Amino acid sequence: MDRYRLHVNGRQREVRVPGDTPLLWALREELGLTGPKYGCGVGACGACVSLVDGQAARPCVRTVEESEHTRITTIEGLSARGDHAVQRAWLELDVAQCGYCQPGQIMAAVALLARTPDPDDEQIAEALRDNVCRCGTYPRIRAAVRRAAELARGDR
Amino acid sequence: MITRRSFLGTAGALVVAVSAPVPAGATTGGGGPLAPTVFVRVDRRGTIVATVPKPDTGQGVRTLAAVLVAEELAVGVADVTLEQAPGDTATYGPQGIANSTSARQLAQPLRTASATARCLLVAAAAAHWDVPAEECAARDGRVTHPRHRPLPYRDLVADAAALDPATVPVTLTPPQDWRLIGRTRAGRADARDIVTGRAHYGIDTRPEGGLVAVVARPPWIGALVESVEDTGALAVPGVVAVVRLDPPGAGQGGVAVVAGSTAAALRGRETLRVTWRGGTPDADSREWLADLAAALPAAPPGDLQRVYRLPLLAHAPMEPMNATAHVTADGLRVWAPHQDPGGLATQLARQLGLPEASVLVNATLAGGAFGRRIEPDPVAEAIACSRATGRPVTVRWTRVDDTRHDSYRPMSVHRLSATLDAEGVPVGRHHEVVTWPLTVLPVFNNPAIVRASGDHFPYTVPGEVSVLLRESPLRTGFWRSVYAGQFGYAEECFLSEIAGRGGHDQVDLRRRLLPADSRLRRVLDVAAARANWTRGVDAPLTRGVACHLDYGSAIAVVVTADPTRRRVVGVHAAVDVGVAVHPSGVRAQVEGGIMDAVSTVLGAQVTVRAGAVVESTFGDYAWARITDCPDIDVAIVPSTAPIGGLGELAYPPAAAAIASALAAGGDPVTGMPYGTPVG
Ligand code: FES
Ligand code: FES
Repeated sequence: MDRYRLHVNGRQREVRVPGDTPLLWALREELGLTGPKYGCGVGACGACVSLVDGQAARPCVRTVEESEHTRITTIEGLSARGDHAVQRAWLELDVAQCGYCQPGQIMAAVALLARTPDPDDEQIAEALRDNVCRCGTYPRIRAAVRRAAELARGDR
Repeated sequence: MITRRSFLGTAGALVVAVSAPVPAGATTGGGGPLAPTVFVRVDRRGTIVATVPKPDTGQGVRTLAAVLVAEELAVGVADVTLEQAPGDTATYGPQGIANSTSARQLAQPLRTASATARCLLVAAAAAHWDVPAEECAARDGRVTHPRHRPLPYRDLVADAAALDPATVPVTLTPPQDWRLIGRTRAGRADARDIVTGRAHYGIDTRPEGGLVAVVARPPWIGALVESVEDTGALAVPGVVAVVRLDPPGAGQGGVAVVAGSTAAALRGRETLRVTWRGGTPDADSREWLADLAAALPAAPPGDLQRVYRLPLLAHAPMEPMNATAHVTADGLRVWAPHQDPGGLATQLARQLGLPEASVLVNATLAGGAFGRRIEPDPVAEAIACSRATGRPVTVRWTRVDDTRHDSYRPMSVHRLSATLDAEGVPVGRHHEVVTWPLTVLPVFNNPAIVRASGDHFPYTVPGEVSVLLRESPLRTGFWRSVYAGQFGYAEECFLSEIAGRGGHDQVDLRRRLLPADSRLRRVLDVAAARANWTRGVDAPLTRGVACHLDYGSAIAVVVTADPTRRRVVGVHAAVDVGVAVHPSGVRAQVEGGIMDAVSTVLGAQVTVRAGAVVESTFGDYAWARITDCPDIDVAIVPSTAPIGGLGELAYPPAAAAIASALAAGGDPVTGMPYGTPVG
């Protein structure tokens, strides 16, 4: 086992795993961060989406080794009180059904809004096209991303 | 009507337990007494706790409970704390979620229990003030009286718990006084946990000292383990054991690699060498479909006929199958995202020869279910692994495992025939179905049961429905709407085709064939009006309509599509679900059914080649993405009907309306997905 230092949610953490271990399993099982979900393990569903250096990334297809010297933010680290604009919009529009895909959807939306503060429906769809929601909450996700953009701008 | 109401004034808290019979029509395949029991507790600190007997897989039963309890106890939805009942039918009655029964079975006992608690608290306050109870009211967690300072519930709990409930009349809050039922804007219970990543699903279970297992599964259907070479796997750091799983006792069979972490278990599985025997290595779903079609009886007479071919579908819940079990000297503990924790506990106790009291099944949140999680196979695997290692073990299915080892919706072939009058209006019909039973529940190996599940034809056209069952070549199970998804799809597509051929409007023809005062006709009118049906759409847009009456509820769906881009553009649905307790949740279930329809009509199907399921992830099991999502409008039609079922209502008509819209711009519907080779 090797030691790797991971910078997660503003803290330096250490994990002892083989370097090729998928980051998702290190987050979930070594660090106890179960917000990023396992949905496919091959980058095909988006359930695990978290931020790596501010960009939407899929920890299931990144290794621990290549994640050293990056800044990782999981949904647990998005806001201290669960009041990020995207989280507030998600609550206001009652997006979740089973909720399992939602951490990934939210983190993908956060990354989108960071680079495109006022996305239109096409940009939303483009950014979230590889985040599957098996329950079919897409209409609400679309509306909630627009609402989050408003909230982030301080609109009421 | 209340059949049993018990009252437990346990130390320091007021606890009311109520079970009520289920309205006619709300039955499950399981049999047994249908009377789930709920518990509502108000403790000395005034905290209100409701125990939810059924698990939440996304259908919203926990939210439903919070709204009903808050309504009757005159508090806010957020003031109700929810406890999830473990599997225990002796205490909670039937706990399964199937056949869209959650709301129908639980609403009455939840309201009665909460109203009982409220009436006892009011009676305690009235006694304290020495005033008639009728002069008091419950509001915002307090009992008020015009001449007295309000008393918070917490100050009344001890007195209320000491009252003889038989002396206190219980009145439910009448509909005109509802603040929350049908009106609340509260969101889903657990929403805050979900958006912060704290919500705990089955897959997040990690008991102290727990291990993880992944299973090498049969490479073709029905294959059994002949031999295992596990030296390599056991040499992988972190791997603890290799456990042979033999069906049916240990699930679907295979070889489990148990390790200290998922990553190690997966590495171990890669190095495993398994030799397999038996099974059907040549199976091909195109041949299965051809076999079903060949079994159709000779065509009945009719003026118009159409054959529909429907594919295999996988459930693919977002949270893949998983279960955690710990077998100890004195019993068994299970954590599972399961649709029937009580049934599971009973079944496990019987199988393992344990007293039921020593089997504890914790019902976690589930990341979707759609019928798949009524089955115990992942639990059986976890038990076998825990037995072999003496430790708690979580069995994780990978996405590929989940897609390729499901209990699929059966394939089916439907021939519809209609006798038409001079105007082209149907006056007689035949619907012949050839399909497979559901192997997960033997009672479904019966054409009459399959027919009862599928046939809900609501129109005034006399006719016959016949079902022929062929032996199923793979595991089949309950898939949202069960056989109604197939029967309803074929029937509604056919009716739209009849309309088109006879020069009738799809809505008009349906209105003609529905009784004037029917709930279905009312929702059809609402959906058509909201879609501006009479105005029509401009080319290349097309439209389709379908209706469905089932589970004590009615729905109509109007779809606007662009066949040139193979896209669903807009959907207007109108539902009558009786009392729509949590409106946002009602809309969510309809939206979900519509998105399932978009997925399955536009492309998702499961195929079998060389004995194995071809599809593996959401990459090739072409489930809808946000890019496929139409604008969806769901109207809840006010209704005084009893609470109806909801979870499975929207899928059949949404699928038919989408296919009919696409067909309005091209070839007739001959199957599912639309315009794609099936199988
Ligand atoms: S689990 Fe990472 S994309 Fe599916
Ligand atoms: S809410 Fe269930 S998968 Fe998205």
